Amino acid sequence: MTQTDPAPDTAQEVLIDVRGVVARYGHRLVLDGVDLEVHSGEIMVIMGVSGSGKSTLLRLMLGLKQPTRGSIRVMGHEVTRAGTRELYRLREQLGVAFQGGAMIGSLTIGENVSLPLTEHTDLDVRTIRIIARMKLEMMGLSDVEDMMPAQLSGGMLKRAGLARAIVGDPKILFFDEPSAGLDPVTAVELDERILLARRAMNLTIVVVTHELESAIKIADRIAVIQDGRVLETGTVEEIRASGDEHIQDMLHRRPRKETIDPDAYLDRLTK
Amino acid sequence: MGRAWGQLAVIAGALVRGIEAAGDRALYHVRMSGMMTLLLLRSVARAVTPPWRPRPVIRQIHFIGARSWLLIVVSGAFTGMVVALQFHDTLVRFGTVSLLGSAVGLSLVRELGPVLAALMVIGRAGSATCSEIGIMRIDEQIDALECMAIDPHRFLLAPRLVGGVISQPLLTAMFIVVGVVGGYFVGVGLFGISAGAYFQGMYDSVVWNDVKMGLIKSIVFGLLIVWICSAKGFLLHLNRDGAFGAEGVSRATTEAVVLSFIAVLFADYVISSVMA
Amino acid sequence: MEMSTRTEGAYTVVELKGEVDLHFSPGLRDRLLSELDDGHPVLVDLGEVGYMDSSGIASLVEAYQLARNNDLDFGLVGVKGPVLQVLQLSRLDKVFPIDATVDERISRDAG
Repeated sequence: MTQTDPAPDTAQEVLIDVRGVVARYGHRLVLDGVDLEVHSGEIMVIMGVSGSGKSTLLRLMLGLKQPTRGSIRVMGHEVTRAGTRELYRLREQLGVAFQGGAMIGSLTIGENVSLPLTEHTDLDVRTIRIIARMKLEMMGLSDVEDMMPAQLSGGMLKRAGLARAIVGDPKILFFDEPSAGLDPVTAVELDERILLARRAMNLTIVVVTHELESAIKIADRIAVIQDGRVLETGTVEEIRASGDEHIQDMLHRRPRKETIDPDAYLDRLTK
Repeated sequence: MGRAWGQLAVIAGALVRGIEAAGDRALYHVRMSGMMTLLLLRSVARAVTPPWRPRPVIRQIHFIGARSWLLIVVSGAFTGMVVALQFHDTLVRFGTVSLLGSAVGLSLVRELGPVLAALMVIGRAGSATCSEIGIMRIDEQIDALECMAIDPHRFLLAPRLVGGVISQPLLTAMFIVVGVVGGYFVGVGLFGISAGAYFQGMYDSVVWNDVKMGLIKSIVFGLLIVWICSAKGFLLHLNRDGAFGAEGVSRATTEAVVLSFIAVLFADYVISSVMA
Repeated sequence: MEMSTRTEGAYTVVELKGEVDLHFSPGLRDRLLSELDDGHPVLVDLGEVGYMDSSGIASLVEAYQLARNNDLDFGLVGVKGPVLQVLQLSRLDKVFPIDATVDERISRDAG
């Protein structure tokens, strides 16, 4: 089992700065005052159960959704107020790996992985092809460029999505639920590749997940989210030593305590 | 006395909720119309500014146009035959059977060609387009494009708009031609009208203004169909009832088809009356 | 990035200095391919290169393949630190002939 590489000792430059973020879907409050910092060169894992608001936080950081209140600065750009052009220019330096891979169904895998390069660079097509194949190989995928997304398994699509996310040598990589839907062995392999990529490409990585083992393995720091709030942020050791009972429950895989009000329960059953 | 007030309160509450719901619905439709219009404007803006990529447009022309050819031919043929049949019946009573060619030609060029070709395309390509884009939305492909700094209006929607506007007049023309042939088989083949009278009548009556009407209709219909069907798929995530997933896609597709039908018929009336 | 060429023995040595990225890699690619097209064996000196992105690596890969197709010698020298890591990640450190210096490569050829 590999040790987590210590985050390179670059000056603790803050690449992503989330402050006082409140977000809603319609009337439903999803994030209620979130503060978070992501430092250059680190792997930050945002951990939480389904419905905790972690996926929303990711979408906010990427500018796919606007918060009701608060500010989010990514590499110096205020994402909540950025115009389209500024936002797009920022996104050219980011790589995002979505949950199911999010491959464009009408393009081959090769065309998919090359997409950021064909759209934004003037590189020769042969150079682009080599780069795309290199990134696919890095993810353990060989000879898949001419296949269509429909022909790949879920695990392979995820890896292709990751290859596409890093094809342009981004500064920050975002990864939404790396292990969801993968068998344990494939999930572990994917974790290894994430660590490898970080080391060689000097990436800063933000991972959103609910998988505890994965988080502990790859994280430099973990931010635990529950019910729209950050419970605690810290290194793996700091989280382990946390005095928060919710976090201890989560670490020891204890189900959340349910409190039942007998009168209310009876009313619900018979109303 | 207290009971009366209580009942009044209940009724008032129900009324208020009803008004709220109606207001909500109205706001939703206004919002959706606004989003759809913005979508159209953005996509058209991307379509007319360089750089232009022919390949996605050609792919769309193939998808919307080429793949509909059999449907257009079959429906065009039957339409022409039925029109000839029905007109023959009427014209015989007035002793003006020689006008059959004119009748078939005019009705196909001005009305039946554009409208029916549009309805066929809605059913086939329109619903497929809505589903395809809707699935892209729920699969996060559109988000992925955004995050790759690729404008989905330029990448996905503009080629479809251009492809639709090019394909629809061509399909309509094909429909009309096949319809005229169908009318020929019924009029000349079945009822023994002279071929010369059939075509001469058509040649004399159908003038450029009629063709212009058909052309304008088909272009407008082409735009409407692609716009509405793409937009319903693209804006799936804003749907009321928040039905995301497969259920949401099929619901959006049905709505897209119905809305497109109505829009085409409405536009048909407007263009017909303006150009009459 | 700065690029200069010199001759040592049979080789054309392409010396790079600085960072090789999207903007400079096409220039590197053109130079390597044209030298190889002229029939010169090529060594790329990366001793002063602190960073090379994927497009730079891809240019080296393409050049190496061309060299092999034309039966010409090719190699990298002075690969260190970050560049070595990237090559290792793509498992290309086992593919390219890599030596510490030009002299070492020349004596390896002879010996």
